[in-house]
Amino acid sequence: MADDVVLQTSGLTKRFGDLTAVDNLDLEVRRGEVVGLLGPNGAGKSTTIGMVLGLVAPTAGGAQVLGHEVRTHREQALAGVGPMLEVTSFYPHLSGRENLVAVALLRGGGAPARVEVVLTRLGLASRSASKFRTYSLGMRQRLGVASTLLGDPALVILDEPANGLDPAGQREIRELVRELAKEDRGVLLASHILHEVEQVCDRVLVIMKGKLIASGTIAQIAHRGSYYEIVVPDVGRASSALRALPGVTEIRETPAALEVVADAGRGAELNRALAAAGIYASAIVPRTSSLEDVFLELTEAESDVPAAS
Amino acid sequence: MFRLLRSEVYRLRRRFMPWVLLLLIVVAGVGFYVVVYASLQAQVEAMRSGAIPSQPGAEEAMRETLEAMRPDRVQSFGVQIVSGLGSVMLIVFAASHVGTEFAWGTLRTLLAHGAGRTTFLGAKLLSTALFAALFMFVGIVAAILGSYVVQAIAAGETRGVDLGAVANSAGRAYYTFLPYMALASLIALWARSAGAGIAAGLVVLLTEGLVAQLLVSLNTDYAKIVNYGLSRNTSALTRVVTTTSATPEPGFSTLPDQGQAAIVLAIYTVVFLALAFWRLRTRDITLG
Repeated sequence: MADDVVLQTSGLTKRFGDLTAVDNLDLEVRRGEVVGLLGPNGAGKSTTIGMVLGLVAPTAGGAQVLGHEVRTHREQALAGVGPMLEVTSFYPHLSGRENLVAVALLRGGGAPARVEVVLTRLGLASRSASKFRTYSLGMRQRLGVASTLLGDPALVILDEPANGLDPAGQREIRELVRELAKEDRGVLLASHILHEVEQVCDRVLVIMKGKLIASGTIAQIAHRGSYYEIVVPDVGRASSALRALPGVTEIRETPAALEVVADAGRGAELNRALAAAGIYASAIVPRTSSLEDVFLELTEAESDVPAAS
Repeated sequence: MFRLLRSEVYRLRRRFMPWVLLLLIVVAGVGFYVVVYASLQAQVEAMRSGAIPSQPGAEEAMRETLEAMRPDRVQSFGVQIVSGLGSVMLIVFAASHVGTEFAWGTLRTLLAHGAGRTTFLGAKLLSTALFAALFMFVGIVAAILGSYVVQAIAAGETRGVDLGAVANSAGRAYYTFLPYMALASLIALWARSAGAGIAAGLVVLLTEGLVAQLLVSLNTDYAKIVNYGLSRNTSALTRVVTTTSATPEPGFSTLPDQGQAAIVLAIYTVVFLALAFWRLRTRDITLG
């Protein structure tokens, strides 16, 4: 495990009876990077986080946090983790501040001294004396995020942190996540809000039915759905001419055009190859996909495959 | 463990329920003395004045009860009040203390922040036991206060509290609470519900004793079986009945000896706690 790796899972698997919730998942989070864990509801994101936090026992594989195996050295492993679970739960009869103090007391170390700092950082100072039960959903989410920073963690795990937040609140959370990465913390962000992930994550893991179906930077993932639309008079001949070209990974034929999946910046090369074959394209248009397009394409394709049993 | 215990105590101090229970036991401790004294005194006066017919020995029995309410008898009458009410209240408290962590979803929050399962439950149970000790102490102080109030009203011979005897009696009563609290905690944890823990604890507390008493009254040989239950060993250890009457229960002579009672209650407590620890350690915390 490299020095800057704060979280590493290998072969992480969880089965609930016949249902495989997480299937042989390998992931890595390094200091200073934000890794998005993307997937539709029920994809296995929260179960993965549950295993990383030692709340759910893996059926196979394991997770290491800061070099400590979670299963065998949970306390040491979690000392460096600031977790926020999907459902933010605190004591309803305690105020926001008291809830943070209660968490800080169990964390020990310098955590109690950081309560006021994190309240201010998350914009909760003015309502910190109000009971948790009176908080709006957005304030509850903020308190959840605030609790992650009490222990000055090297790894922050955020499960759907923007749930219930208004656009301004979502933006603040995105900015905070980027700040956390700048402070040399690793951040694992589980979300199904794609534009949130697109804007803050350095790398993305897409999971579906517990399986990792794609991973890479946002650009790499988005590129999976990018292609050149080439309008030519003879689609069949053009397809043959381009098929052997290096960097071309897929060619789809439509009645009026070709859709050529190739590395970025290859438009001129494609044009040259067609011209060399005596085919003159009337248009070569690069079509780029958003993360959302790719995500939907990936997950819809995977949802047609029966779940592993 | 110490960090978790601090957090538990911090949260407990800010809960409404423990304060309500302490207030109730204070009111009950003093109030019971005053109400019982006033009632008995009124009956004695009524008999003397002929307002109600006097029955042979009735006045004497009442006088004995009034005597039992003096400070030098707190170890029986006072402890009996506190343990009778306390066993119910502490079952409610123990189940609620564990069960609400599931209801509020805070168990996941605490465990995610690094609390170990064993230490979490250890701190939870230890704080329950500490509160029970505080409850007992406050209840006994209230009972002593009640006995002095009665003594002051009665204006008779002044007697002091036998603190050693009171501590001994209260300690025994406290010991008998432990298996019931452990059972309530276990069921609350197993069912992830305070209500389930309260129901199980109260059902065992209220019905097991009645069943045991009924069986022994039918045939004293049944004592060999029911003497391994909770209620008979509780009675053996405290040597008082669970009702407010100070008369020994039927079948008193068939109660187990105090050594066996202490061991049986300890075994129940340990088994209930061991099951609770095992259940929490082996469970996936996907809810609560």
